[in-house]
Amino acid sequence: MLATLRGVSKVFTNPRTGKGLVALNDVTLEVERGEFLCLIGPSGCGKSTTLNLLAGFEFPTVGEAAFKEAPIKAPSPERGVVFQEPSLFPWMTVLQNVTFSLRGTEDRAMRYLEMVGLSDFAQARPNELSGGMKQRVAIARALAMDPDILLMDEPFGSLDEQTRRKLDNEVLDLWKKEGKTVVFVTHSIDEALILGTRVVLMSASPGRINKEWKIDAPWPRDPSSPRMVKLKEEMIRGLQVCSCAKSAPQVSFINVDLEV
Amino acid sequence: MKTERRFERGDAVSKALKEGSSHFTFVPEKRRLLLKDLLNVTLGVLFVIAAWWVIAEMIIYTKGALFPTPPETFDAFKNALYGANINGETIFSHTGASLYRWGLGYIIALVLGLAIGLFFGTMPRLHETGMVPVYIIQMIPGLAWVPIAMLIFGLGETSTIFIILVTALPPIVINTAGGIREVPPIYTRVAQMSGRDRWALFSKVLLPGAALSIINGMRVGLANGWRVLIAAEMVVGVSVGLGATIYSSRFSLDFYTAFVCIIVICIIGLAIEKLLFVWLENTLRNRLGLDRED
Ligand SMILES: Nc1ncnc2c1ncn2[C@@H]1O[C@H](COP(=O)(O)OP(=O)(O)O)[C@@H](O)[C@H]1O
Ligand SMILES: [Mg+2]
Repeated sequence: MLATLRGVSKVFTNPRTGKGLVALNDVTLEVERGEFLCLIGPSGCGKSTTLNLLAGFEFPTVGEAAFKEAPIKAPSPERGVVFQEPSLFPWMTVLQNVTFSLRGTEDRAMRYLEMVGLSDFAQARPNELSGGMKQRVAIARALAMDPDILLMDEPFGSLDEQTRRKLDNEVLDLWKKEGKTVVFVTHSIDEALILGTRVVLMSASPGRINKEWKIDAPWPRDPSSPRMVKLKEEMIRGLQVCSCAKSAPQVSFINVDLEV
Repeated sequence: MKTERRFERGDAVSKALKEGSSHFTFVPEKRRLLLKDLLNVTLGVLFVIAAWWVIAEMIIYTKGALFPTPPETFDAFKNALYGANINGETIFSHTGASLYRWGLGYIIALVLGLAIGLFFGTMPRLHETGMVPVYIIQMIPGLAWVPIAMLIFGLGETSTIFIILVTALPPIVINTAGGIREVPPIYTRVAQMSGRDRWALFSKVLLPGAALSIINGMRVGLANGWRVLIAAEMVVGVSVGLGATIYSSRFSLDFYTAFVCIIVICIIGLAIEKLLFVWLENTLRNRLGLDRED
């Protein structure tokens, strides 16, 4: 197992307002080496929180987050993250952004920029690039860190449909070529269906894992094939069921970390 | 890049519309824009002079008092530029003395302000406590520093420089610390996952991310220090300096000279704020890749 969340609950509390939120309740997730795992679910169900726990940006309130059997204590270049929001440093060139990480040598950087088709833009500034190009650079940056796992949080969520399709396929190619493990968060069932080797469905209030599917169909996948259509229907039903049925939270708190 | 001929704006627009292209370039109209700016500034200044003149005549008429009108003041200004004696010095040595005090006070404020601001900006746990004294100092009006400076340093340059320093300091500290703290957390996360150390986080991420805010603090600090000049030179103990001259006009009753000094203060203050800092900010925006926000 490359990365695991074992019985993880994540609670956010605000001591000023006295309000608390259970973002994740008793989540257990095992990420296998080499898989392309898609996390889907309605917005607010804790997908980003799950990813942040794996990245080491957040820590479990209850339970354990582990990477290669060791507890996750801090972010590390072993786990590259591609964020949804623009995350390139505007004051650096594209190349400087990609070589920023400890392991991002210029050779590796140029190789990955070439792979995402942006080697001509190495000396450009992020504000000269389109949204899709920026996310490509972010992917190149994550890959240049030579991570064991790529954590992608709705990386193409703000892009138009066409660009998104194109980038989806590029990510798939990179995944096949590089043999990395990918955890890919999306709220689009279609995107999950054409990408994942496994799809995990999360539901909200409180966030938890509801159901999962292994998909062993080869790529490129045809979303209109009978099998995909059937899977999609199942997933849509899954989404509907979990947003209505509210099972009682079943977690006992030992210690709750306080965050504003 | 391409070396195609660039057209006048009107031609370029019609060409683009005809050819159906979405982007086009034309010869930048720098001269026209400069003339427009100059015209605006001139009109604004003329308005101030007109209002001043009306008020001056009204005061002279109703109170029978002496009040420098624009033409009288400009005469005095011209004489000053020709080296007329003002309290035993020329306008140039008064200006020089003030600029020196201001510069020295400001540079000390800058060094201290950046150091304190960067410290509290990067120490979240100390920030709230650390900023309280700064906010208190900021609330103390310039004139209130006069007795304090007198008590600590007595009459002399040190008191003057202290007052300039202490009024320039708070905006520098607040904007530096605030700028660091407002760097989007996502940038910090990128730095953390990149495995870089705290120094790289500071120098490559936090500092450039806060640069615009820091420059803004520097600008406000500089303006504060200049505006407090008269209060600061109340305690200088000698009669050299623009502020000292204005202050002493209540004994000498030479209000024309006082007005000349006010004009010099305005011109220098505006030049530094509008020319130097606008240029500095634009250059920085460009260097930081922030010229097209998205
Ligand atoms: N740092 C935080 N502080 C407080 N609440 C948070 C924080 N991060 C996330 N949340 C809340 O936790 C819930 C899950 O958020 P998130 O993981 O971002 O969901 P998703 O990515 O699936 O849309 C949301 O209700 C969100 O408002
Ligand atoms: Mg999210």
